[in-house]
Amino acid sequence: MAAMFEILAKAFVYGLEVYAGLGFVFALVFVWAGVQSLDSEAQGSGVGFRLLILPGVAAFWPMLLYRWKKHVTEPLVEHNPHRQLSQQ
Amino acid sequence: MSVQYAAISWNRQKKVYDITFLCLLVLYLGTFVGVGAWRNPRETAETLLIRALGTAAFLLLNVVLCIGPLARLDSRFLPLLYNRRHLGVTTFLLGVAHGGFALFQFHALGNVNPLVSLLISNPRYGSVADFPFQALGFFALIILFLMAATSHDFWLRNLSAPVWKRLHMMVYIAYGLLVMHITLGALQSEPSPILSGSLMLAVATVVSLHLAATFREKRIDCAKRKALDDGFVEICAIDRIPEKCATIVSLAGERVAVFRYDGKVSAISNVCQHQNGPLGEGRVIDGCVTCPWHGYQYRPESGAAPPPFKEKIPTFRVKVVGQAVLVHPLPNAPGTYVEPAALEPGKEHT
Repeated sequence: MAAMFEILAKAFVYGLEVYAGLGFVFALVFVWAGVQSLDSEAQGSGVGFRLLILPGVAAFWPMLLYRWKKHVTEPLVEHNPHRQLSQQ
Repeated sequence: MSVQYAAISWNRQKKVYDITFLCLLVLYLGTFVGVGAWRNPRETAETLLIRALGTAAFLLLNVVLCIGPLARLDSRFLPLLYNRRHLGVTTFLLGVAHGGFALFQFHALGNVNPLVSLLISNPRYGSVADFPFQALGFFALIILFLMAATSHDFWLRNLSAPVWKRLHMMVYIAYGLLVMHITLGALQSEPSPILSGSLMLAVATVVSLHLAATFREKRIDCAKRKALDDGFVEICAIDRIPEKCATIVSLAGERVAVFRYDGKVSAISNVCQHQNGPLGEGRVIDGCVTCPWHGYQYRPESGAAPPPFKEKIPTFRVKVVGQAVLVHPLPNAPGTYVEPAALEPGKEHT
């Protein structure tokens, strides 16, 4: 039981480290070359903004990589009951 | 509101807020370490620092969690809400410093990966008395990291407000984990009545404030309103709405803010496009409805932010019959202009 738990713990930690490592590499590329094509409000933004979003990009890199590959140019518009009803 | 992201949008109020807060934080940390060293001379500086940072992070998290319901219960607390995200990010930074020092002191000096060591060095997960409480703090810290990393408006826009809000609601899971982290850890090694009493008081305060705010909002959401033949719903008498302010009602599955301003009445969705802030708790400033949370603005008659800003929210048809304010519950597309109802007693205006 203890051995099984150790394997699971190692798998979790090493998986997390690989995910974060890949995310960090992606984030370095994305904040300089990708963010402005995904969100028009990021065009012309400074170094401080790019550094601030870097940890989040490293955490959510699969979502951003998917949108970047799909050439999404503006964020999704949220939906709430009023917005949904107004479109009907 | 912005058309181009900035790292941090500081203004004078935010600077005063942050400087005051940082001074209080440094004072707390210094006092904690100083008093701790005086009362327990055998404690190492690292241990005192770990405890000071941990208690500061938990105390700050309690403050952050209380600000939301306090602001909903009493608008005088709204200025605290204005810059709450800086408190949240600081909570994470204090937490990560606490966790980092603890990880280094207790798990980094062996030949096992420190994080693996944290999870497996004490495998008694079935025991209450010896529960490996450090793992609870680690998972709470992961949640706090996700929240701090996504605190910039870029994330609000790119995750969308509802997803962003759901992600940030995970703070309650982190809070529960931290309460258990303290209960099972610090309280077991140091069963002090002051510590346990303080913890219970903090949890009771957070829970009771949230319950009070929820009950208050339930009253708005559960109020039954009957539609007239033309579909309009009577909201209230016009004198119930203060000038430049709104009354909030629940229509079409969401709250609607009905504003009275400059002899006119307009109705817009109560949900700010920025962080879903309660627009109806804001005021009309310079001809625009101003969100009480972060100052996002919308024209009351069109629900559109003034140029060059692009935010738009749904609008509603409104009329005043005699003294009664009536709103049609079918929302118009975001940004649709609706002629405001003019306030002329005894005459119907649509």
